[in-house]
Amino acid sequence: MRPDTSTPAMTPGRRHFITVALGAISTAIAAIIGVPLAGFFALPALKRSERRWLEVGPVSDFVEGPIQKVLAKPLVAQVWPHETPRVALYVQSHGGRKFTLYHIHCTHVGCPVRWNAQAGRFFSPCHGGVFDKDGRVLAGPPPRPLDRYEYKIEKGVLYAGRLYKVNEKLEFREWHHA
Amino acid sequence: MSRLLDWFQERLATREQLTRFLYRRLPEGTTWWHTLGSAALFLILLQTLTGFFLAFYYVPSPEHAYDSLVYIQNEVPLGRYVRGLHYWGASLTVVVVFLHLLRVFFMGAYKYPRELSWVVGVFLFLLVMLFGFTGYLLPWDQKAYWATVVGTHIAGTAPLAGDYLWRILQGGVEVGARTLGRFYAAHVLILPAVLFAFILVHVSMVIYQGIAPTPKGGLGRIRREDYDRLYEESKGRGETFFEHLLRDGVVAFLLLLVLVWMAAAWKVPMEEVADPTSTTYVPRPEWYFYFLFEFLWGFPGKWIPVATFWIPLAAVLLLVLLPFYDRTPGRSPLARPMASGVATVALAAIVFLTYQGATAPAPPREGAAVPAEAQALPPELAKGREVFEAQGCSACHVVKGVGSAAGPDLTRAGARRDAGWLKRFIKDPPAVRPGSEMPAFSELPEEDLDALARYLASLK
Repeated sequence: MRPDTSTPAMTPGRRHFITVALGAISTAIAAIIGVPLAGFFALPALKRSERRWLEVGPVSDFVEGPIQKVLAKPLVAQVWPHETPRVALYVQSHGGRKFTLYHIHCTHVGCPVRWNAQAGRFFSPCHGGVFDKDGRVLAGPPPRPLDRYEYKIEKGVLYAGRLYKVNEKLEFREWHHA
Repeated sequence: MSRLLDWFQERLATREQLTRFLYRRLPEGTTWWHTLGSAALFLILLQTLTGFFLAFYYVPSPEHAYDSLVYIQNEVPLGRYVRGLHYWGASLTVVVVFLHLLRVFFMGAYKYPRELSWVVGVFLFLLVMLFGFTGYLLPWDQKAYWATVVGTHIAGTAPLAGDYLWRILQGGVEVGARTLGRFYAAHVLILPAVLFAFILVHVSMVIYQGIAPTPKGGLGRIRREDYDRLYEESKGRGETFFEHLLRDGVVAFLLLLVLVWMAAAWKVPMEEVADPTSTTYVPRPEWYFYFLFEFLWGFPGKWIPVATFWIPLAAVLLLVLLPFYDRTPGRSPLARPMASGVATVALAAIVFLTYQGATAPAPPREGAAVPAEAQALPPELAKGREVFEAQGCSACHVVKGVGSAAGPDLTRAGARRDAGWLKRFIKDPPAVRPGSEMPAFSELPEEDLDALARYLASLK
């Protein structure tokens, strides 16, 4: 049973007009407020220009072979100037200007992997993930080998850049953050 | 006083409103179980109040969050107590909200005409879990940081939009200043606003429809067309809300006593300040997320999204839509063995996984003292024990309660296998037992292998 809403002036056409006009105004209000707020919230998280280089250290610090844990220094502060973010990564020198730089997070759910030099393996403390010295999955649930950083060498200093994923053959698969 | 009351009476008809609210009749047989909803509300209000006060001292930035917590704990008079109320209150809220959900499920209270109350209630439960997830990043200690790394990583495994979701949750490519800002804003502003909007709807519906009848006797099964008549008859025999309110009050008071005792007697755990560069920390979630964390064991490699996305999604949908696919007249748990059975199994699984998570042995921390039993080993076995530790065996194997349980527990390895078999197996596991997941240790020197096998064979 519909309530009687007709008044002398309220024709069906008029009611339809008011409904459409109110709908349009509401949509416009929502969009004018909502779109900038959504951008304010999401854009800093999705910003590409924030790919910053991390200063890993002089190339001469790294002897060929053993995997070393290194604290790297971002060249640009991530969020605000006073922040001193610290980033750790595993660095392996292959001699000359060739390196492999590993992310310390397990590829399963992100627990920090520990390099065990005697065993020559990376171990995750959460769900039994084990990686070999090249980052391949040896055991446990991780879906792919350890992620790696791109790198460059400038004036004898090693820098780490973007993170990328590799396939089982350790070939580049995709950038970590599309 | 009475002039003041009259003033309100003239404008708002206060007396009639209050009478209608307090003296409405409840159905017959309303029990102590029916106090869980009001108990949950009481705890949520208490969390809100203690949260207000914590906000006076807490600073949501990575540089200051941890120190502000230390300040609250050590310097602010009663700081330890107030933080304790909020911290233990969170766990108590999760427990009571979950019990409320179980009560409503087993009494069939989600059925006609309370389907919407159930749907809103499930969202309230999920909101409470989100409060937990966003809240425990705020202290910015190691547990907070790494649990959030794992939590956002899990969100990132969602199909298609996982990567975006991950970055939007974190506010960037890693857990940092913006993550803390986001979680703080969500925890103290957005989630409370949404929570109280939902609570308003939830409570209005209880008042509008009345509390669900206890499914006993003739009310164990109710056909939809008989509902209104049976409910009215039951109300004719029941007590008033005012009488039931005494039960609510008693339960709220007892919960408060429990919470005061917890906050006064138990220390709130606080770990080292968050260190994103640590590679020795062993991340573990808050106890009410253990079941999810443990659940991940069963789903390796490409199956991960099944555990992190598809099954949780299916579980939430099953819960939300419950009143729409279960439209049978049975309300008593005994009148619907199928629903009760499935729920009991699911409940047992959650309790079991939570127990597993709570009692799971952790891999030894770096630099931890050598266990007493290892010190007492005779020299011919000590060498094997050294190899065991050096090779990181405890990352996957438990010996006498130390280690991680990815692989078999080796506390009694020697009772099942001799040294010869163990040596062959460690060297090349799949050759000895096809399908074994253990990585081969073929590069170990022969003498180390022998020592390791001897040590393991001695464990009986």
